[in-house]
Amino acid sequence: MLEARGGEARIIAGGTDLVLQSQRGQCLAKAMVDITRIPGLDHIEERDGLIYIGAQVTHGQVAASPLIRSRAGVLAEACGSVGGPQIRNVGTLVGNVVNALPAADGAIALFALDAEAEVAERAGRRWTPIATLYAGVGLCTVDPCTAMITQLRFRALGKGEVGAFERLAKRRALVLPILNTAAIVGLDGDKVEKARIAIGPVAATPFVATEAAEVLVGRTPDEASVTEAAELAAQAAQPRDSLLRGSAEYRKAMVEVLVRRALWRAVEGASLQEGEDANS
Amino acid sequence: MSSKVVGQSVPKIDAATKVRGQRKFPQDFNMEGQLYAKVVWSEYPHARVSKIDLSQAEALPGVVAILTSKDVPVNEYGINIMDQPVLVGEGEKVRWLGDRIAIVIAESEKIAQEARQLVRVEYEPLPVVTDPREAMKPDAPLIHEERGDSNILKHIKIRKGDIEKGFAEADVIIESYYLTPHVEHAYMQPEAGVGYIDEQGRVTVIAAAQWSHDDLHQISHMLDLPLDQVREIVPAIGGAFGGREDMYIQHLLALCAYCVRRPVKMVFDREESVMRTGKRHPYYMKYKWGATRAGKLTAMEMEIISDAGAYASTSVPVLSNSASFAAGPYVVPNAKVDAYTVYTNNAVTMAMRGFGSTQPPVAYESQMNKLAEALGMDPVELRMKNLLEDGSIALTGNPMPPGVGVKETLRQTALAAGWKEEDGVWIKPGPGLPSAPYKRRGIGVACGYKNVGYSFGFDDKTRAIVELALDESGEIARALVKLGASDQGMGAHTALAQIAAEALGIDYEKVRVALVDTSVVPDAGSCSASRHVYMSGNAVIRACQEAARKREEAIQRGERRVSAEYEYHGRSVRPTTPYDDENGMCDPHIGYGYASQIALVEVDVGTGQTEVLKVWAAQDVGKAINPEMVKGQAGGGVHMGLGYALTEEFIQKEGLIKTRRFSEYHIPTVADMPREFIPLIVEVPDPTGPYGAKGVGEMTTLPTAPAIISAIHDAVGVWIDNLPATAEKVWRAMQVRS
Amino acid sequence: MLTLKMFLNGQEVSVDVEPGELLADVLRDKLGLIGTKISCGEGECGACTVLVDGKAVDSCLYPVLKAQGREVITIEGLGQDNRLDTIQQAFVDKTAPQCGYCIPGMVISAKALLDENPHPTRKEIEEGISGNLCRCTGYYQIIEAIELACERLAEEGGTG
Repeated sequence: MLEARGGEARIIAGGTDLVLQSQRGQCLAKAMVDITRIPGLDHIEERDGLIYIGAQVTHGQVAASPLIRSRAGVLAEACGSVGGPQIRNVGTLVGNVVNALPAADGAIALFALDAEAEVAERAGRRWTPIATLYAGVGLCTVDPCTAMITQLRFRALGKGEVGAFERLAKRRALVLPILNTAAIVGLDGDKVEKARIAIGPVAATPFVATEAAEVLVGRTPDEASVTEAAELAAQAAQPRDSLLRGSAEYRKAMVEVLVRRALWRAVEGASLQEGEDANS
Repeated sequence: MSSKVVGQSVPKIDAATKVRGQRKFPQDFNMEGQLYAKVVWSEYPHARVSKIDLSQAEALPGVVAILTSKDVPVNEYGINIMDQPVLVGEGEKVRWLGDRIAIVIAESEKIAQEARQLVRVEYEPLPVVTDPREAMKPDAPLIHEERGDSNILKHIKIRKGDIEKGFAEADVIIESYYLTPHVEHAYMQPEAGVGYIDEQGRVTVIAAAQWSHDDLHQISHMLDLPLDQVREIVPAIGGAFGGREDMYIQHLLALCAYCVRRPVKMVFDREESVMRTGKRHPYYMKYKWGATRAGKLTAMEMEIISDAGAYASTSVPVLSNSASFAAGPYVVPNAKVDAYTVYTNNAVTMAMRGFGSTQPPVAYESQMNKLAEALGMDPVELRMKNLLEDGSIALTGNPMPPGVGVKETLRQTALAAGWKEEDGVWIKPGPGLPSAPYKRRGIGVACGYKNVGYSFGFDDKTRAIVELALDESGEIARALVKLGASDQGMGAHTALAQIAAEALGIDYEKVRVALVDTSVVPDAGSCSASRHVYMSGNAVIRACQEAARKREEAIQRGERRVSAEYEYHGRSVRPTTPYDDENGMCDPHIGYGYASQIALVEVDVGTGQTEVLKVWAAQDVGKAINPEMVKGQAGGGVHMGLGYALTEEFIQKEGLIKTRRFSEYHIPTVADMPREFIPLIVEVPDPTGPYGAKGVGEMTTLPTAPAIISAIHDAVGVWIDNLPATAEKVWRAMQVRS
Repeated sequence: MLTLKMFLNGQEVSVDVEPGELLADVLRDKLGLIGTKISCGEGECGACTVLVDGKAVDSCLYPVLKAQGREVITIEGLGQDNRLDTIQQAFVDKTAPQCGYCIPGMVISAKALLDENPHPTRKEIEEGISGNLCRCTGYYQIIEAIELACERLAEEGGTG
């Protein structure tokens, strides 16, 4: 269908961002192709340890999904903090990725989950890490006039593996974050086996603090290691001075605070699971 | 007579139609054959318009007319001083982003929108001045060359006693510099309306307005038409809070109808409502207060500078109010106030809930809390030693009239919040345990007071008509109250209907209040200054008494209809006087209302974020005509005060507005409000009020911000003297402290 | 122009629309349902909230063509004849409306919440209306109204 319109039609799902972009002259498409009726795009399911989320799935559905809450709670937390109920009922998680904003809560959690996206284009379908879809603020490498993201997938969190989402904003609801982070910690016994930290908006695209996460691996999560990781994350993050979001200095300092809190919550959750494991 | 209707929480007169979505707001009106208008706004905060090219826009099919300054018979308006051009023409100046160059009128809204983007305007930019302290300097760029050689619009002086002596007597002196920001009214209903020529040929406007009869004066001046040739109809108002006291759309609709002789509809979008209309004044306040070790205030020295923005609006009366309240509700023998309001190229500033009484509490209550800390005295106790009472001599030298309830509001709030009192010694409760190890709790207190009605010699008056329909036995079947009192949503019409029912001794359900239509209802003054219950209530009671008397005559004559009219003047109670030029002494206000609040907060020491957990809010309303409506005013007042204190940051840079919409200007959501809210209604009657009532609408918002600021200090030890106390500001203050 | 069909307040409705039009504008300007209010125009205030297939959505951000074949409920769809529905009546009884501009959206959000969760906690009520701004009330009487509606609906045994 997109092809028939010669690149002048674009995909729309919830449209909560797109409508504003088009009102403000930031979207020049002449027609919209609504994908919310195409069958087979409304799934949230687990297959072979991977969780698949279709392009029609809204933030509200992700936040309420028992599967996501139990196997990728960090994503449920993130999606639950987007906008208000009305926005969450319409805006989709895939749309959050296509919009490619570095502050998008859902996308930050997806980065921490190391998610992949399935891109359907003329040449066929392919899976690609979501990081490859980001070309800059609001720039997605998938052109919604010629292609679409049909679904997302990521590995379900296993036993001893827990994520946490933290967010700082100008008020307590219905607001974009001035800073957000998702951290996932996997414990093997009392040692960190793996860790992953994503942060926004501190760069043109969602930022993965690789060094900060790696410093935890193989160590017992304690005040020293968590602090070291949080400090490394803050050093690596490059927020800009923003009239609306706050100074770079403040937000850099807040990266440390939020990452530390997210890591601790993840560690506590993971230890609890490990503990249950040991008891069972 | 015991009251049957007054004091009851009857359902609001318009509640049922509002919950059904049937009540019509200005944007809900459409007329046969209507056109649509859009404004071409100024693109510069200060510039000379060199060229206006309409050719492209006029060529667009569907464009009916494009109005420019040449189309305005008398191109000036303004509620207090007529210093605003309706439209700015070639060779003239724009002074802020809310100035208008042209109005495009077209067959559809879409065409009007498209055409306004085709109007080409060339500007010669002029130097921009945005800080009133800079604008006061003799060499600052002049905003209004035609108004003399200074940007200072007004300087008010108060000189009471001898401050040198007062400070010499002080054991403790607190000096601070306070800043309050612009605040957006953020009423939910953006400006909208329809202008048309009515069946009698009158230029008619349907719009939300706080004082339609004053709008008429301004519109008739602008169109050079006699007053009886203009008319305004006010349907449901979607909030106002002072923001509709000036005209932002009414005169434009009138001009459109006058020029094209067809109905014209205009609706502002949210960005226009935020960027192109007035705000609350930012204040710069330098305070120096002294007190004795025993806790008696001895001297105060205050400099207050208000940013009037590009046009005067009500900046002078707002400043006048502020100066009179500069000392707070406290007795002080020696004081000096210098208050200035100054033109800048910032957004026009105007009335907003409090009318100059919301900025001083941020300073005077923090001064009291800082003094209490310096003296090692409980903040409630310090206040109790200094608060005004009946007959106390106020800052302006006048005795306070009977009914001063501020102490009672503080006593009740403090006791409710857990303070203990023994022989005048007050002991603060602990704030409880924080919800997380990285959070700290604190508790803070503040008071406030404000005038009811218009002040400083203004002849405040309300005219009301009461019409009765009698049944066969002469009983009152229905009563219709007619007066030009706008109800912005707070329930003025409900309260006035209750007062009428009480005065007539009939059921509330039998009373109707007429739609505000200037061709039908008499002038009742503005819906502001918390005055309708007090002023219009007094007029309605007297009109009802007159109607009741006439009813007896009507029954004897066998008539079924009765009409009575009464004009109530505030001066009949207290003739107010203007400031003395030299020492500022005067009797400023007709009446007053009082409030005290206590806030319990939790501050995140990692991020600096403040959460308000609980607020106790006492307001002395004299008599609660409708207690649930009073509670509603308290909730709304705390909402605005909380936004003022924490979340609402109106950002301008070089006269350009950066917070353009609700996604950028953050009024509190339900999640930001304290989970626990304890409204307390205090009734210390005003003997001159209807059934003892005072005003309520504005007082409820005065103490909230300073109470929160004080609670933040109690929690983490930092004073935020520059609102709002954003997370970053609190965090920075904590960094400096450690 | 395209002809859109939707089930609006229980009735099938056909209306001619332009592809770019938004549901709020079509409801207000073409169908005369003025109870749906427009305030922020960007999904930041909830004044325009309507139900689409039972879910609360901001109709000012909802492309009208997405409503094709769906069930749409606006404030005008609540209550019967001249009787207010339970939620509306509770809003009146608790003095919840002040200016009233946010109220249709608030009532619809409350309905969406109670239809899905008949016994919400205070926190769930707050979450349910966290996408709706009000400048007048401080929200307290709105929350009380929703709590009252819950009680009454429980007594009535359903949202009927």
